[in-house]
Parts: sequence; C-alpha cells; structure tokens
Amino acid sequence: MNKALKQINIVDESRRSFVGKTATAAAALTIAPGVFLNQVHAKPADEAVTDAKRWGMLIDTAKCASGCTSCVTACHEENGIESHNRPLTDQQWIRKVKLKDKLTNHVVSLPMMCQHCEKPPCVDVCPTGASFKREDGIVLVDRHICIGCRYCMMACPYKARSFAHEVVDNKVEHQPRGKGTVESCTMCVHRVDEGGTPACVEACAEAEHGAMLFGDLKDPSSEISKQLVEHGGKQIRADLGLNTGVRYRGI
Amino acid sequence: MLQIKSLMHKSLIALAGIAVMAFSVFAYADAGEKPSFAPNVPHPTNGTTECVEDEDEMKKNHMEYILHQRDATVHEGIRTKTYSLKQCINCHVPENSEVRFGDDKHFCSSCHNYAGVSIDCFQCHTDRPMGKKATGKNPHKPSAQVTLPVKSEVADASTVGASNE
Repeated sequence: MNKALKQINIVDESRRSFVGKTATAAAALTIAPGVFLNQVHAKPADEAVTDAKRWGMLIDTAKCASGCTSCVTACHEENGIESHNRPLTDQQWIRKVKLKDKLTNHVVSLPMMCQHCEKPPCVDVCPTGASFKREDGIVLVDRHICIGCRYCMMACPYKARSFAHEVVDNKVEHQPRGKGTVESCTMCVHRVDEGGTPACVEACAEAEHGAMLFGDLKDPSSEISKQLVEHGGKQIRADLGLNTGVRYRGI
Repeated sequence: MLQIKSLMHKSLIALAGIAVMAFSVFAYADAGEKPSFAPNVPHPTNGTTECVEDEDEMKKNHMEYILHQRDATVHEGIRTKTYSLKQCINCHVPENSEVRFGDDKHFCSSCHNYAGVSIDCFQCHTDRPMGKKATGKNPHKPSAQVTLPVKSEVADASTVGASNE
C-alpha cells in the first residue's frame, strides 16, 4: 500500500475542506450576525482536538421559558432518540427541570443534561475506560468499549446518563446508538467538530428564548467568557468540586 | 530404495495434480467467469471506480482501517472521510436503498454472510447512507405517540423543591 502518498492526499483534502468551511463560517458571519452564529472554531478534519479549548454552556434561567421543551425536542431529533412510551426507562439526554424555592415560591425552569465536568465521576468509576473526557472537555461514552454496567449512571450526580434498553431502529449516521450501552449528551460533538453549535442551543435561539449560550470557556474573547465575567455563572452542586462546563445564571 | 523411489513417484504425481488444478482455477479466472460458490459483492453505485486502497488490501485489511479511524474519531475528533465506516456505506450502499445489513445484497453482508463472519457494526451504525438529509436535522422524528420522559427528581436542598416539567 502506498501509505505515504495516501497520507499526503488526506492532508490536502482536509485543508481544502477547512478553507471551504472557514469561508462558509465567514459568510455566516456577514449574513446572520447573531450571537449563536458568529463563532468560528472549525478545525481541520484531520487534526485532533486539543486542550487549548474547553467547550461549555451558559444557561440563563431567567430567559428559559417554563413549559418550553424546544431543546429537548431538538436533541431527540438530532440524535434519533425515540420514546418507547416507558417514561421510567426511556433515554433522555436533556430534560427540563423546575426548581421551586419553598420559602418564596419562586420558580425557575432550566434544562438539565450532562454537565461536562472537568473531573467527571462517571469517568472515575468506569471499569473499561469507555467513559472518557476529550481533550476539549467534552465527556463522552465510547460505546465500542462500554459493557453496559451502568456504574457511571449511579456515579453521576446529575442523572445525566441513560441506558439503551431497546434496539435502535432509526439510526442516524452522525450519532451511532445501540442497545446495551450507556449514553448521554455529547454536546453535539459531531456538530462542534465541524464548527457547529449544539442542536439544543440552536433550537433555543430559534424559539426566540436565547437562554442557552455555547462557546469556548478558555477563550477570554468568546461571548460565553464575557458573559461569565460580567454576570457570573453558578454550577449545580458546586460543593462537589467537579468544575462543570455547563453553568447557570439566576439560580 | 524401492520404497523411496515409489514415494518420489507418488509425490511427483501429486504435484502434477496440484499444478493441473491450479492451472484450471487460473484458466477459470482468466475466462472472466466467477465460480458459483463465490460471494456476489455489489460494486459501488455512485460512480466510484477505485477504493481508498487497493482492492486486495481492502479485502484483507479493511477492518484495521475502520478500527483505527474509529478510535481517532471517537477520542480525538478526527473526522476525515477516507477510512470512515460512514464513507464505506456512502460509496457501497445506494442512497434510498431498501437493502439492509443481513440481506445478501448488502455490500457488507454479501461477503460476511459468505465467510460466516458476524460483525456488530450495524447494531449502532446505520447500514445505508443518509445522503443530503444528514446535513440537516435528523429526519427520523420521534413517533407521533412520543411523550417526554419524566423521571422523579429528588430535591437536594431542604428549601428548594425540584421537579420535572
């Protein structure tokens, strides 16, 4: 096999697509200069992710509408998650939670999903190494290695993970899912790697709530970092010291 | 001595026999006909004439390429198309195909069924291209009866009650 030659071809192809994507991203900037669209972070396809970035989300609970489930629907559509009409065991990568202060009766609504911890307990307990954190901070399950023991589900303080109890009939090519493994929010890693935004964030913006902001926590000039500097962002169960990648405002 | 001679004689006959058999196989191949027992592997339908490596190399080692790419993609976010399973499917299975993995007409099953090698790739991965639909949102919308899953939520602070919407 002419491996060296192939290698050169791969590099060429990916550079070409990178140039194309950068151009597309620049076009997106001029066409729709929305908060959620003006992030240019596409990397060449042949380049591994590095810890120069850490992806995160900031959720403004004041903007999150009670009763709105756009993010949940978008997530299910994007990742091909179907209900089997068994609410106790159906997969859920994101869910809406209502918090009520019993003293003041103040109610806030927020989306709850994998918090993409810096020190994820799910990774600590995984006996096979299937549960892992990518260099850029996204916590994932490698379902090739997952044996479905569900230790990670018990370790997660956020109940973010689900077990696939049923055969997946409608498979999507960008999000392979199957029976017998654990799964959770991937922060739409397939979109992020190509310079995109998670489906839930997009849906929230489309629903004109704009409660969810996605971006690079390590880049001080990113919108999410600026917002965090200005308004702060709380971690849920900050006492656990997990340094979550998903932060909330107004809780 | 006589014994050795007869042995040599026998082995010569055997060798000649093997040579004739081998020749007949080549002759068969030369005639451009496929033996009836060989798997009927469908050719790519999207106009592609060459695979990413030589055909012989791919026959022997395709699993190594896919396995390597698998780890690179899942763990490092390297999403080059060349050796990805997605790209295998995009070339080798026609778009809008009704053929599923397991069917002898499916590219992967055509040989895997023949060789009796079971694979579990398609328990999770899709066995046909998604085509243009893949670029937008998932076309496989949740069924009409879908209800949002509700799990009981335990309040973790005495003054704050949490519940699912």
